[in-house]
Amino acid sequence: MAKGKTYTEKKDVRVDFTPMVDMNMLLITFFMLCTTMIKSQTLQISLPSNEKVEKKDQNKVKQSEAITVILDSELDKDGVPVKDFVYYYEGMPEVAQEGTEIVSNMQEIAFMPNENGKAQGIRAIFQQRNKQVLEKINVLKDKWKAKEISDSVYQAKAKEIRNDSTLTRPVVIIKATPNASYTSLVTALDEMQINNISRYQIDRINETDSAMMTPFLLKRLNAKK
Amino acid sequence: MKVKTEKKKPFIDMTAMSDVTVLLLTFFMLTSTFLQKEPITVITPASVSEEKVPEQNLITVLVDTDGRVFLALAGDKDSTQSSDKVRVELIKNVVAEYNKLNPSAKIELTRAQCETFGQIHMFGLPIKQLSQWLSMTPDQRDEAIDPAKNPNCGIPINMNEDASKPNEFQIWMKAAYNTSNDNLQTAIKQGKGIAIKADGSTPYSIVQVVMDNLQTLKMNKFTLLTALKTEGE
Repeated sequence: MAKGKTYTEKKDVRVDFTPMVDMNMLLITFFMLCTTMIKSQTLQISLPSNEKVEKKDQNKVKQSEAITVILDSELDKDGVPVKDFVYYYEGMPEVAQEGTEIVSNMQEIAFMPNENGKAQGIRAIFQQRNKQVLEKINVLKDKWKAKEISDSVYQAKAKEIRNDSTLTRPVVIIKATPNASYTSLVTALDEMQINNISRYQIDRINETDSAMMTPFLLKRLNAKK
Repeated sequence: MKVKTEKKKPFIDMTAMSDVTVLLLTFFMLTSTFLQKEPITVITPASVSEEKVPEQNLITVLVDTDGRVFLALAGDKDSTQSSDKVRVELIKNVVAEYNKLNPSAKIELTRAQCETFGQIHMFGLPIKQLSQWLSMTPDQRDEAIDPAKNPNCGIPINMNEDASKPNEFQIWMKAAYNTSNDNLQTAIKQGKGIAIKADGSTPYSIVQVVMDNLQTLKMNKFTLLTALKTEGE
């Protein structure tokens, strides 16, 4: 017998982590499913005060600057909007009756995304009308993209250009019929942002507008048949 | 001759894997904000706006496609004006205002009921039913404001341009504005304190009622909640 010395066997201590990993994975899945990674965006709007304004105090929009956009939607049986329609006219409403037909300066148009980098639909009209502002902003944007100016400077200068009264800028009046979908309203407000239009307002539809819309409504009815 | 191969148990070391998962878990736990329960699910329309919705000092007006209105109020970061406390103050203001306008049909809430209200994220019932609603169990409460189960839920709202005779929606909004949380007041004045959340297929006439009501209260600036859309240059 060897004297006095005992050899203890060195054993590798290994803890099996598999169940731990299983549990962690489960918890991760839980948190991933319960969290909101994407926060909603917000679109800021300000409505005019609804206090009655005296006629003489009213700000009249210059005729040459005004564009009126009218939003409407077709509803299905359950009252859910299925198709959006957009109409517009520039300047004052011009409406006349020729025999049984109502003729006006209203035209049908649509919200369309850019195609091959070119604006389509109503965006093309807004860009045409807001050309001076957009040209200046594009110059600024190029500078910003080349990192010549910082974010905050870009935002401040862009705002200045948007509100520069020496440039010809349009005033857009957005009118939505009661049937118009909320989406079309947001899309219209969105176009204002895309096209850097600083002056726009949401207004109620009036009788002239409804009268101007009738030929288009008739056309829609006929198309359905 | 027989060759015996020794059978070895394959052992994969999971320590590293465990490390990674714990790290991920910590990340998710720290960054997560839980989805709040809402009585209806809406799909907001898309816009290019990149402004994020604030988490504090916000009144969310949820509008469903049939015109039912629900409200949620978020308080300040500051613990003296936390969501719970602001909501308790809100309900007290609302009850006081309601009783002033309807002296013949006064309602009363117990302290415990007010405390319960402080815990609730979203609400939308006629004020008369509040006392009963706040005595229910949480599950029953959720059912009571679920349009599928209770078609009469939602805060009563109508076209009303007379600020001296407010409807219940206007009572709520005014009461929220008049809580002692000054930051919420500032946010509302700047147009960041009120957010309208509505489904994209809601007819404009319904959204217009809400907007007109806010206009009557001189809360002319507010935001619309939208989802992000990327616009090709």
